[in-house]
Amino acid sequence: MAYLFRSVLIQSLNKTIRPMWTTINRNMSSHSKETDEEFDERWKAYFDRPSIDGWDIRQGINHMNRLDLIPEPEIITACLKACRRVNDHSLAVRYLEAIRYKSNAVSKEVWPWILQEIRPTLSELGVSSPEDLGYDKPELALKSVDDM
Amino acid sequence: MSSFLLRHVKLTQPQLALMLQHQCRVEASTSSSASIVQHTPVVLDNTKPPPPLDADRMRMHPRIGNREIVGYGLKGKPEYFDLVMFPCPSIRWEADIPAIAELRKKEKGDWKQLSVEDKKKLYRASFRQTFEEFTAPSGVWKWTMGWTLISLAGLIMAYDAWRRVAYNIERPDSFSDEKLKKQLQYHIAARQGPMTGLSSKWDYETGTWKK
Repeated sequence: MAYLFRSVLIQSLNKTIRPMWTTINRNMSSHSKETDEEFDERWKAYFDRPSIDGWDIRQGINHMNRLDLIPEPEIITACLKACRRVNDHSLAVRYLEAIRYKSNAVSKEVWPWILQEIRPTLSELGVSSPEDLGYDKPELALKSVDDM
Repeated sequence: MSSFLLRHVKLTQPQLALMLQHQCRVEASTSSSASIVQHTPVVLDNTKPPPPLDADRMRMHPRIGNREIVGYGLKGKPEYFDLVMFPCPSIRWEADIPAIAELRKKEKGDWKQLSVEDKKKLYRASFRQTFEEFTAPSGVWKWTMGWTLISLAGLIMAYDAWRRVAYNIERPDSFSDEKLKKQLQYHIAARQGPMTGLSSKWDYETGTWKK
């Protein structure tokens, strides 16, 4: 299921029990009649294509980042595996950074939960999380583009 | 240009072009080519053959140099950007110099063999700033607040100056010495402040101040 920001908080509080109302078919917008599961399946299938290339991964990441949700751990793992297939480690780190930034805007408890859920994939593929690289704090103090 | 008053000075394109033209002419006239130095070797890499020419590169060449085009980006243009809304720019940040090419070969293998330094180098080769860096607070509010208060104070002082110049500001005649003396006599006659104030210091029998 794709999470709205509210449901992520509830999820993080009780990890094994999923509340009843998230399994009910909900219309998130007036013109889309897709359920949460269909949404997840669609995105997972998108990233699970064996012949996906860097261009499509970046398209998918940019598009999904614009949507008003934080991706399911399953979608995140599918994307990380796709990055592994195109041999681009920095892209995976960038993706994780984007999710981290977005989830921190919601609550401080979301990102540790997401990390915990995708930790098996991270250790299997050898992807470093942003904290491992020290990118949870700014490293370089470069001038902002707006000031040039 | 004074960088104290203005945070930055953006030159217009014609001004910039004129400046560069003048600079080139000055350097050419001194006829010492050692003064013309490339200071950004990583982005424009002339040691390798140029990458294959396609539609995107034809449009942007030579602005992006030898950098690899990797995605669609914002509007299909091969430009670099660091945005929160769009994590993946359309081109890598740095050109593929041999050091980076070696790291990319290593990247094809097991990622667990990459050290943290390798991973950081690869990241910086693809991206200019991390999320934390380009979302870090800039502290512009202090500059804004300071100049707002200073200009407000300046405007108020300017208004006061104009007021003093434009208007004839006189004191009313009740401030003259005779009138003030008369006023004091009236206060004492009316017994103002009898206990601890003015009249308590006046001796009514003798008609003088108390000793």
